Amino acid sequence: MLVMTHLQKVYRTHLIETHALRDFSIHVGEGEFVAVTGPSGSGKTTFLNIAGLLEEFTGGEYKLDGVDVGGMNDAERSRLRNEKIGFIFQGFNLIPDLNLFDNVDVPLRYRGFDAAERKRRIEESLTRVGLASRMKHYPSELSGGQQQRVAIARALAGSPRLLLADEPTGNLDSLMARGVMELLEEINRQGTTIVMVTHDPELAARAQRNVHVMDGQVTDLGEAPRFRKTPHAAAATA
Amino acid sequence: MEIRPILSALMRSKVALVLIGVQIALTLAIVCNALFIISQRIDKMGRPSGMDEANTFEVGSLGFGAAFDMRTTVQQDLATLRGLPGVQDVTPINRVPMGEAGWSTGIQLQPAQKTATTSTAIYFVDEHALDAMGVKLAAGRNFRADEIGFEPDFRNNGWPPVVIITKALAERLFPGQDAVGKQFYLGKDQPPQTVIGVVERLQAPWLDWKEVEYSTLIPQIRPYSTDIRYVVRAQPGRRDEVMKLAEAKLGEINRSRLVRNVESMEKVRAEGYRADRAMTIILCIVIVCLLTITALGIVGMASFWVTQRTKQIGTRRALGATQFDILRYFLTENFLITSLGLAAGAVLTYAFNVWLMTHYEAPRLPWYYVPVGFLCLWTLGQIAVLGPATRASRVPPAVATRSV
Repeated sequence: MLVMTHLQKVYRTHLIETHALRDFSIHVGEGEFVAVTGPSGSGKTTFLNIAGLLEEFTGGEYKLDGVDVGGMNDAERSRLRNEKIGFIFQGFNLIPDLNLFDNVDVPLRYRGFDAAERKRRIEESLTRVGLASRMKHYPSELSGGQQQRVAIARALAGSPRLLLADEPTGNLDSLMARGVMELLEEINRQGTTIVMVTHDPELAARAQRNVHVMDGQVTDLGEAPRFRKTPHAAAATA
Repeated sequence: MEIRPILSALMRSKVALVLIGVQIALTLAIVCNALFIISQRIDKMGRPSGMDEANTFEVGSLGFGAAFDMRTTVQQDLATLRGLPGVQDVTPINRVPMGEAGWSTGIQLQPAQKTATTSTAIYFVDEHALDAMGVKLAAGRNFRADEIGFEPDFRNNGWPPVVIITKALAERLFPGQDAVGKQFYLGKDQPPQTVIGVVERLQAPWLDWKEVEYSTLIPQIRPYSTDIRYVVRAQPGRRDEVMKLAEAKLGEINRSRLVRNVESMEKVRAEGYRADRAMTIILCIVIVCLLTITALGIVGMASFWVTQRTKQIGTRRALGATQFDILRYFLTENFLITSLGLAAGAVLTYAFNVWLMTHYEAPRLPWYYVPVGFLCLWTLGQIAVLGPATRASRVPPAVATRSV
């Protein structure tokens, strides 16, 4: 699903060069739930940004679902991001002026689905996170845990192959965090690949594999994932 | 298109929406009405006087002293001016068209008529007037030399038996008929005046007068006390040279008078329309200022929203929006705000026009001003928002994952 080989990311100013990622190699298989851990400044967010096609890399190779993303322009990267990747942000990143229905609708509009298809997907994904009855509410009317569930619904609505979560429980209390984690585990069980960046070892322990990052390099690739045939994999081998 | 969600989001930012909407509405109302007033003023300033303005000028003479004799002075002046090189023709005249001062009187079609049918400007001239002023005779004939009188007392109410009138006045007095040979009355209890000629056009001295196109030429030299003027027509291209020569010669031949008001008809026109020109310039400045303020308002609001929504834009980019999607979002948002403002502005524009019609006798605003105003303000809005929208489209998607 996600293969990075000898990836480099260098931030350059006219005075200094900062190597955010160096010789960074990782392989995430389809259906895996991988936690990426590491201290602040280790390169976790840079990895997530590059994995999510939010940033370009300066060297190495990155293949997402078999597609080499190296030479893509901004529009191609946007399209691929929209089709293949779902994002869950630490701060939820919901649009405060839009109700839940319209928030979940945002990526679907960019996908170009017709109105009926968008409505079906929005209702389905909000039902999946248990918020179908509140689709006309605004984010400010929800608790943090509910807002993160909406963000998950938004990420799932486009049926992504890969879900990237950036500290998904970082802004939640432990009860809400547990609820969100259970939801992510359930999503993963249904076949979606999840890569979660976190500094919380307890949370990371619930993933199938922990990848540790330090000084822009992978220092521990974690245990090899146990094989599990996912619906996506089943479709691919059929 | 994201019209519904954009509208829905805008409805949650009502203060900004109302402020910019009101600004756009006021701009439309003021710009449309101001443009209409400007177009009216331009039309007014473009009206022909009926004279050959490029080659004519006026020169005035004011006599003084006990020895001053008006009749002799006029005879000498006319002979001198007509003898100058480069002069095509000369006529004495009481006041010139567009000069903002002159004589007028009422016209009655019946001798015992209590209220005048209309009013007319009066020009006291001789048989050279048509050629000297460059006025075109449309029907009838010019004055003959033997019809020209001299009236030293400007208070005398007597009128000569024949007159030449403008076509506009002829149509007003005798609609659909040939005015030549028809009669009317310039003075009460006096013999009628017979129209012997009709000229295409000759404006009155007062440019804001409703009857500005109604003029009557009287075959009489009638000074205003010791004040007389002449209209001199130079051969094409020689006006300025003749003006200097005329002023010098008139000064030389008679020391008992002042030679004054030596002005080309082009200058007389410029002076006559000075207020209209000033109004046009002021309104143009108002329009430019208003449009600039509105454009800056849109730029300011859009810039503020782009800064305020940087994270949101990054999130949209992360969720799959291309740079063009973001650009289009802000252009669409501006289009909707502008449209709401314009809808209110259309009502305000017509209300403003009705107010002008009621209080200032302004004509009705032609219907196409508002749609043209819509197009202009839509375009202005889109151009104004283009900068902030482009800046928004350049927000990198990685902003979505930044914690600050």
